Amino acid sequence: MAKIIIKDIGKRYANGFEALKGVSAEIAAGSFTVILGPSGAGKSTLLRTINGLETPTAGSIQIGEQVVTQNNLREVRSQVGMVFQHFNLVDRLSVMTNVLTGRLSHRSWLGSLLYLFRRTDLDLAHDALIRVGLTEKAWNRADKLSGGQQQRVGIARALAQQPRVILADEPVASLDPVASEEIMGLLREICTRDGITVVVNLHQVELAKRFADRIIGLNDGLVVYDGPASGLDRVTLSRIYSRNGDQVDEQLETMLAYA
Amino acid sequence: MAEQIIERPALPKKPFNPTSVWLSGWLALIWLIIFDLELSFETLLYGVQDIFEYFSRYSRPNFEDLSRYVELLGQTLATALWGSTLAIVVAVLLAPFAARNLSPNAVTYRIARELLNFMRAMPDLLLALIFVAALGLGPLPGALALGVHTAGFLGKFFAESLERVDNGIYEAVTATGASRIQLVMYAGWPSIQREALGYMLYIFDRNVRMAAVLGLVGAGGIGLALHDTLRMFNYDQSAALIVVILVTILTIDYLSTWIRGKLN
Repeated sequence: MAKIIIKDIGKRYANGFEALKGVSAEIAAGSFTVILGPSGAGKSTLLRTINGLETPTAGSIQIGEQVVTQNNLREVRSQVGMVFQHFNLVDRLSVMTNVLTGRLSHRSWLGSLLYLFRRTDLDLAHDALIRVGLTEKAWNRADKLSGGQQQRVGIARALAQQPRVILADEPVASLDPVASEEIMGLLREICTRDGITVVVNLHQVELAKRFADRIIGLNDGLVVYDGPASGLDRVTLSRIYSRNGDQVDEQLETMLAYA
Repeated sequence: MAEQIIERPALPKKPFNPTSVWLSGWLALIWLIIFDLELSFETLLYGVQDIFEYFSRYSRPNFEDLSRYVELLGQTLATALWGSTLAIVVAVLLAPFAARNLSPNAVTYRIARELLNFMRAMPDLLLALIFVAALGLGPLPGALALGVHTAGFLGKFFAESLERVDNGIYEAVTATGASRIQLVMYAGWPSIQREALGYMLYIFDRNVRMAAVLGLVGAGGIGLALHDTLRMFNYDQSAALIVVILVTILTIDYLSTWIRGKLN
């Protein structure tokens, strides 16, 4: 529903580490993009600059027609759902309340002090739970659910926001293969049916190839590949996953053999 | 055989163990203190008999006035309950500002922290004396004194629990576009719910013990009655009051330990 324009983004942390060295990309509205890259390449940082969880030290982010600044963070975030590797649900709250937190940006502080929501919010949360197939778990405590179910609650929380964009930071890294398949399928379905722009960080090349419209390969804070999943051959993969400019990397060779 | 033993490489020099130095230093210190404070073991020895004689005066507790004692005990418990409630309200309001990850800025954080430190540093006995002087005898100054002092403790406990909550949970709620108050209400308090309940019980337990003592400086309840009977050398009634206080404190102590055990 909204395109994302990433323009020359740079990020240098306080300790001097430069995570991003000028990344640019224009992500089409309603597309499914996967960001690949080795650990420490800057995937997480890039994703987190999009909704302002990290402030870039250079460049700009634009979502739809809106440029992300320090002053419109809450407004931007209300339109951007986020899914995390460790689900990050509030353990002691019910599944329903966790999903309802997706509606918080539309509620006043007074209502929030009393844990009150409107009928429309409850309906939206209910619909989100139906979408992820967890209606019967609505009143269970979030930490009593399995990993796969918790991640579905995380997706329902994002859906309850009625977002224009969903960002997913390694959503399947803590899940078994079956649950991973389910979660990726769910994200893909949300993208296709609702036209929500989805950007996912992944470690699994095979999943990326199957689900993505477009792959962005990141290495050492720079874009080293940007194109369709079909373009991911051995040469591109070795460029994405090369470490410290190694020419021949045995581990990499083994990995690529199975990719 | 003999040659082989000679061949063995020697152990490095054994490191010096300072325990004996510390121990003799400590002994010398407490020896000097005996002279400095003129502590006399002879007096203690001769006094043992007197101590036993004094305690024997309390051997016949008189429970004739028990109904009045129970009423006064109720007053003490009410003082503790009001003091604890006041502490909880103040702590709940201040703790988010005193938690580094939830406070809006460094200045607010510092002010909230120092306010809590100040409240904690004021002994409740001293606060009770001040409030009794200002408001007169009775349970109200007692409740205020307990409230102010324990709000400092509870606020610090809450703030530190809020700081220990996984940052990812705060991040996830922030990422929905929630405001700071919503972050505290939906990510902060629910995550520390159980710990916070445990702290509140502990504070109530402690306040019951302290409320009985605060009566001695005029802050009402059963302590004030004990103060009066002691002044009048009314040993039988004092003994009864002490028994009532001890039984209550032990009961509350066991109860709160049991409930806190259930919570964990």
